[in-house]
Amino acid sequence: MWRRGPIRTVGGMTQNRTALITGASRGLGLALARSLVADGWKLVIDARTAADLDAVVAGLGSSAVVAVAGDVASEEHRLALRRAVAGLGGLDVVVHNASRLGPSPQPPLDAYPLDALRAVYAVNVFSPLRLTQLLLPHLRPGGRIVFVTSDASVEAYEGWGGYGSSKAALDHIAAVLAVEHPELSVYAVDPGDMNTRMHQEAFPGEDISDRPPPEASVPGLRELLTGALPSGRYQARALVAPVEAVR
Amino acid sequence: MRGAVRSLVGLPPAPGPIEASGRRRDAALLLASRPSSAIDTTFAALGEFLAPGDVLVVNTSATLPAAVPLDGPAFGRGGPAGLLLHLGTELPGGLRVAELRTATGHGSRPFVDARPGTLRLAGGGRAELLSPWPAVANEGPNRLWVARLDAGSGGGLTAWLAHHGRPIRYGEPAEPWPIDAYQTVFATEPGSAEMPSAARGFTAELVTRLVSAGVVFAPLLLHCGLSSPEAGEAPEPERYRVPAGTAALVNAARAAGRRVVAVGTTAVRALETVAGDDGTVHPGEGWTELVVMPERGVRAVDGLITGWHEPEASHLELIAAVAGEEMIERSYATAHALGYHGHEFGDFHLILP
Repeated sequence: MWRRGPIRTVGGMTQNRTALITGASRGLGLALARSLVADGWKLVIDARTAADLDAVVAGLGSSAVVAVAGDVASEEHRLALRRAVAGLGGLDVVVHNASRLGPSPQPPLDAYPLDALRAVYAVNVFSPLRLTQLLLPHLRPGGRIVFVTSDASVEAYEGWGGYGSSKAALDHIAAVLAVEHPELSVYAVDPGDMNTRMHQEAFPGEDISDRPPPEASVPGLRELLTGALPSGRYQARALVAPVEAVR
Repeated sequence: MRGAVRSLVGLPPAPGPIEASGRRRDAALLLASRPSSAIDTTFAALGEFLAPGDVLVVNTSATLPAAVPLDGPAFGRGGPAGLLLHLGTELPGGLRVAELRTATGHGSRPFVDARPGTLRLAGGGRAELLSPWPAVANEGPNRLWVARLDAGSGGGLTAWLAHHGRPIRYGEPAEPWPIDAYQTVFATEPGSAEMPSAARGFTAELVTRLVSAGVVFAPLLLHCGLSSPEAGEAPEPERYRVPAGTAALVNAARAAGRRVVAVGTTAVRALETVAGDDGTVHPGEGWTELVVMPERGVRAVDGLITGWHEPEASHLELIAAVAGEEMIERSYATAHALGYHGHEFGDFHLILP
């Protein structure tokens, strides 16, 4: 496959590539971090609590992981992430994965507390945009920015007006950023329904064990990180065959 | 193996205490290092790495304003002027280790022409330089002396220094800082020539939160002597005291499988001084000459909170004894990458090997 950017492969391993993944202590972020570490990527990851992050990083077992504890909604934390990226000498990929569902169960719009909605937008819209602003100067040529979105950004599901509208805003930010920065690849990616804690919060009390694990969405994300797809909005599980088939 | 640690590059020094910029002390950065991870956070998040029953061993020594200007030239008329006397470890018999330095604005640089004789000090104090210290001289010109000190009339040493002394500073710092900047929240007993800085990140609120979470604090005393920033000298003997209560807390924690985390290299030195081969800690006090090296390792300590040190500092050997050299090298590389600051007002390092 034709690859662009500074990718160098040695013995099938990707060398010297650096990614920042937000919200990497569980779910999709953790699954992606594991996958990238296994292929020799350098990572900057974050999570809100140091203790969660500590356990995760110990499990990743790589000295090429810089873990920064903090909330993406905090400017101080975002500056710390930039500090980490600058310290690693630049970045190839940003994956804006950290998200906030909002109240569980999700309230209908006619009763949605605006403070709660602001908190959802702070994490899902303003934080990824602000972090992008901070990291753009550190992105290497051919850099990629991935915004993790949701089918709730295009479909009108009852109760999903808060989270869904924030992801719709994020989709549009991704689309406009792609036009404003044609030198970069900018993707919005819908990972699909997954058996994650956030998904459980969206369906409190329901059995969600029939949903695929987040690992099933990782190959699609990997395709965005290293493939040659044009900027745009994608569904992760439609991009490639399931993980079992690849291995 | 010394070479590996000594080839580390020190971090840029923090320009001043964090509270000078209106921030809380526990807002300083903390790198939590484990064998396979390093987490970048702030000192305020310390509790996230500790479990109920873990013991933090803290040094209760307070910092003296131990640099005293000379009153007039040294060694009588026509002698060198503009000197400071740095007061170090108290010795038996009312004697004290001291170093004569040349004042440089807010700091000091080495003065190499000291000789036995009497010095008149600010506020009516006097010091008599008796003989070089230690008795077996280091290479190069002699820095440290045994001095007999007379703190002048009234009040005693602490009161005299409060009026006429200032914090010991090396090099040419741009600004002076008040002695309060050199005190930790645990400081109760004056006697350190230099700040036991590893506990600088603690605030009363943070200590309260940790206590409420079940973390145990065990106090000991070690008065920091004069460091040797210009020379790779061995650490000088220092006064210490490990109370019976602290020894009991540490032994109980070890028996229960909890961690004993020393706050500062001073706490390691004191605790290891009174630790038996099996790690059992005994109460004790006196002067310790123990130098904790990687070859010796540690017996009583499972973890360490410390700052970021200069590569030539003997502290690094001690830290390598706790963490291992590979972990130290990785931590310093990460701290460099993350823009951490070193030195007495710098950022912090939690080592949990």
